[in-house]
Parts: sequence; structure tokens; C-alpha cells
Amino acid sequence: MALLDVSGFSRYSELRGQILPAGRTHPVDRTNHYSFGTKTPEFALPLGVDPSAFLKSCNQEAGVSIDLNHGTTTLAFKFQHGVIVAVDSRASAGRYLASNDVNKVIEINPYLLGTMSGSAADCQYWERLLAKECRLYRLRNKNRISVAAASKLLSNMMLGYRGMGLSMGSMICGWDKEGPGLYYVDDNGTRLSASMFSTGCGNMYAYGIIDSGYREDMTVEEAYELGRRGITHATHRDAYSGGVVNMYHMREDGWIKVCKEDVSELIHRYRKGMF
Amino acid sequence: MALQDICDFQDIFLDRGTSSLPFGKKTGFNYMRGLPFSNSTSLFNFYIPVAEYLDKSPLEFGQISPIQSASTPLSQDVTLPSLSLPENPLLSSPQPVSLPFPISHGTTTLAFIFQGGVLAAADTRSSCAGYVEGPAAQKILPIHSHMVSTTSGTSADCALWKRILSRELRLYQLRHGRRLSTSGAAKLLSHMLHPFKGTELCVAAIMCGWDGGEVHGHLDDTGGTKTDPGGCTETTKEIDKSVDPSLEKTQSSFSSVGGQQPLAREKRNGSGPCMFYVCSDGTRLQGNLFSVGSGSPYAISVLDQGVKWELTLDEATSIAREAVYRATHRDAYSGNHVDIYHISSKGWIRRSREDLKEEYYREKERRERGIRQIMTLSEENMKQTKMA
Repeated sequence: MALLDVSGFSRYSELRGQILPAGRTHPVDRTNHYSFGTKTPEFALPLGVDPSAFLKSCNQEAGVSIDLNHGTTTLAFKFQHGVIVAVDSRASAGRYLASNDVNKVIEINPYLLGTMSGSAADCQYWERLLAKECRLYRLRNKNRISVAAASKLLSNMMLGYRGMGLSMGSMICGWDKEGPGLYYVDDNGTRLSASMFSTGCGNMYAYGIIDSGYREDMTVEEAYELGRRGITHATHRDAYSGGVVNMYHMREDGWIKVCKEDVSELIHRYRKGMF
Repeated sequence: MALQDICDFQDIFLDRGTSSLPFGKKTGFNYMRGLPFSNSTSLFNFYIPVAEYLDKSPLEFGQISPIQSASTPLSQDVTLPSLSLPENPLLSSPQPVSLPFPISHGTTTLAFIFQGGVLAAADTRSSCAGYVEGPAAQKILPIHSHMVSTTSGTSADCALWKRILSRELRLYQLRHGRRLSTSGAAKLLSHMLHPFKGTELCVAAIMCGWDGGEVHGHLDDTGGTKTDPGGCTETTKEIDKSVDPSLEKTQSSFSSVGGQQPLAREKRNGSGPCMFYVCSDGTRLQGNLFSVGSGSPYAISVLDQGVKWELTLDEATSIAREAVYRATHRDAYSGNHVDIYHISSKGWIRRSREDLKEEYYREKERRERGIRQIMTLSEENMKQTKMA
């Protein structure tokens, strides 16, 4: 039809043919995340494999035992002087502790931070992809991306691969024109904004601490102390969290890294009567 | 024994072979009756419901039928039908039975030991899958004058076993002239629940008690009781002993759940606060700080932060209330009110039940005041900058 021709619109089946034509199986030619196309949304999927069906077969009944364990504790809260982000640093693979010194905060740009919980590989990959998109946005629009938009980009990426086994619970924190921003994004595509979040399997322990100590009008030192305590007590009770507390403070002029303290020393300090 | 003869009690369990006799005697009273300690020559007889009835659907419960398994001596571990063992020869009908409604266990209970005794706190919401079934349940059940049990799990199971336990402890007290220690009570409960391991029974209780060894107001001098460590002045008036120099050791070896051994050794001969966690899967742990239930992770970190041996009663109460409040704030299955019980050498005392809704509004007001302060401060700052 005339309008179709003029606007260059192609039907879905033709689009699919363009995106995944029979002949193009070489990885470089396939749709991937490294092309900078903006005309059509592209989802890179492995050829010939249906990820959701594959995942369904990887459960206990089928005899396969691939347990995705998400061991971590991260927390973030907004208060009058910005956003505090505190994370632990333990990476576990089942019962094995792979590392006690992982950086679970990705510094997207001087005004944006992302935390990682869930599958380490997924978090690192997707948040680096988000960093790429934020940089592109800055170059194209000459303005920094807002926290809401950055979290929306990440959330849409997650939605595209929904049901295919991604595991990521992340908090996007930043300071933009609207002030301090804190969003929680996870692998289901959930995107929530609030003034306090905690993710990971130690999150319940952290919630108890930060709920009871949180006040909107805290001083900066009190906020640092609250963040430290939250992670420390969570690592004390949760086996899959530990290592050091990495804490960042997001201020109007950018983020600063506040501290990197070992939780075993912190717990001794907080619980003198305990040991 | 004398009491048995006096009250004409028949230890039915000792009659082997007459399987229908127990059940013909009392209609509707369908458990086998056997008492621990009842006969010194026989082995432990456990008071358990009949194996048969775990097969039947609860809707048919109460109908009497001939029992094949009545003659089983209970000295060994009777494996009552766990739902996945259909080959058990003792069973008559091995089919697993589906429950009429899904049971769900949501609660927050906690207890800790401090210098004034034991403090136990719990919420009062009883839930059934997604519904809030009752806003005013009793989750802390007194067992006797100096012991209280916080319960978590299925309310019906907890209520029943608590009553059975109270009865056994009272009989022990009558026979031996002294109360059974918390450790003994916990062991008794744990052994009573053991036959049900593998079934849907779900009881997770914290037994909190004060072991004193005194029944009629006089002291039990055997074994050299130690007074309770620390300066709990209000409760040590009746115990007329001087403070042991070894009590300092007790205080320093005081630790949280991990360090149970030193405390157990110190208390072997002694009186004082004592706490055990008993679970229907067989766990029995001594400790100084426990929190059980779906809301427990939220509460336990608040307790970790604040609980110390030297707390006063008021401080301990406010920490317990705060911990339960935080748990009810985040956990959907906990809520409504908080019950706080304090166990000291005089016995247990119950604080009045407090509505957490009030606490929530008080906190909301505090936060709004804080925000208003920030707003006024920032307005003043802006005015000053404008003027300057």
C-alpha cells in the first residue's frame, strides 16, 4: 500500500527476515549488542536454542541440578544529603566461596552508580551495557541521562530477555536535575522508586537495621554508620554475605567512595559483649 | 505407683494384645495413653496419637476403628507413617492424605536472656495461606509458673503439644517435689515430637524458663545452686546465697547462639534463666538469643544490635518491642499486636498487649516532624541567601 511504501515500514515477517536471514550465521553478522543500530530494536539470541525451554529442563525433576544461588547483601537509601549505597563483597558458587573481595558497585559515570546482586556475570554484563547506553545518550543529546531514564533502559533490557534465566537485582542510584534518585530494577523487569532498598539473600537482616535507624534528617556521619551497620549485621547472620563493606555516598557534585572496611572487625566493634 | 493407684489410672499401654480395649473405653478419646516415668521397670512410653489417624483425612477424624498397631512397644523409635513410606508394615493404609486447606506458618517470635531473666516477645497475627485468620492469637503460652514457651508453626499443633507438655511437667513436679529444668522440659518435648519426624507436624518453640529447684518456697540445697549472675536485685531477695567468685567467669563466657558449651557447663548445678529452641524436626539447641518465624530475620538483626547482658528491664522491653515491630513492618504474615513476657525468679509476668498500629503512627509522626524540620531549615537558608 502507498503509505507503507512511503514510510518504509516493513511487516514483522519481513523484518525478521532482515534480522535473522538464513544465510547469516557468523557471529559478527548476527544481531548483537555491539552494533549501534537505532532503527529497529534488536534482541540477540543464540541460534537454534530456546532459552526458556532449556531452563525449564534444568531443574530437579529432570535430574539436572543447576541452582542459581544469589548470595549477597546490598542496600541503598536516600536521605537529606543524598544517597548512601553500601554493599558486601562476597561471591559464592553454591557452597564454595569464590571470592571475598568482589566489587559489587559499578561506577557508570560520576553521577550514576549501579549495584549488583544475583548472578555476577549477568550483573556485570548488563550494567556495562547500560554504561555504554548512558554514554551514547550523553554524546547524542549533550546532556547527562536522568536516573529514571537509565533505570528504564536497564529495565527494558531485562524485559526483553524475560523468562530466559537472567538473574539480577540492581539498584540504580544517581543525582540528576530532580535531585537524588534511587531505583530498584530486577530481572523480571520490575522497576521501583523509593527511598530505601535492600537486595540479596541477606536483605531481610539489613532491613531490620536500616528500618529502625532511618530518619530523613540524619547527618552524614549517622547515615554512614547506618549503612555500615546494616551490611555488618546482615553478613553476621547470612552465610552468603561477607568480606568488606564498600560504601559510596552520592552527592550533588557526584559520588565519593566512603570506606572499604572488613566486616569481621566491624562486628567486633558493634558487639563488644558478644565474643 | 501411689498416685496411679489412688486415681485408679490404668496404664493401658502395658496391656499388650488387647488392641481394641483402649479405644472402647473412652469414646472420642483416641490417643493411646502412656506416661513417661509411670513405671520404673518399663521403658519410655510416649504419649502419642495413634498412627492410624495420621492416614485419615482430618474430616473423618474421631471415628473409632480397630487398631492393628496397638501392640507396638514404644521403646524403639516408632516410625509413624511419614507420608512417603508406604511399605511400613505397621500401617494399615499408607495413602498420603491431602490436608483440607493449605497450612502456612507466619509469625515472629523472639526471646533473649539478660541480667533480669528471660524476655520473650511475639506478634499476634495468625494467618492461613494468604488470609489473616485472626488478629489476636496467643503465641506465648505459659507452661508453668516459671516457664513460658513461644510457639511458631501450626497453631493447633503448638497448642496441643504445649498442653501435653504442661501436663507432663506437672506430673513430674508432683512426683519428684521439684520442677523439671528447662533443659529437661525441652528434651521431653523434643522426644515427644520425634515420632512425628517426616510428617506435616510443624512446631518450633523456644522454651524460656527460670530453673530454681524450689517448689514450696524453700530452697533446694543439693548440688550447690548458684545465684543468678549480675545484679538483678528485684528477684534475688529470696535466694539467700552470696555471689560466687566463679560468676565472673559465667559473665565472660556469655555468648550468643554459637558459644553454647561454656554456658551449659556453668549452669549444670545452678539456677537462673535458661532458654532452649525445640523444633519438630528434632533440633534442640541451648542459647541466649533466638528468633523464630517468617519475620525472624528482620527481628534478629535488630536484636543483634542492641541485646547485651547488662540491659535493664525497660531497655530490654523496648528492644524486644522494636524488633517485633520491625519484623511486622516488613513481613506480611506478622502483625497486629505484640505480647511481651518477662520470666524472672519470681515467675513469669505479662506486659499488657500493645497495638503496633500506634507504634506505626508514632513513628510516622516522628518522621514527618523530621521532614518538616528539614523544610523549614532549607527555607531559612534560602531566605538568608536571598537577603545576603
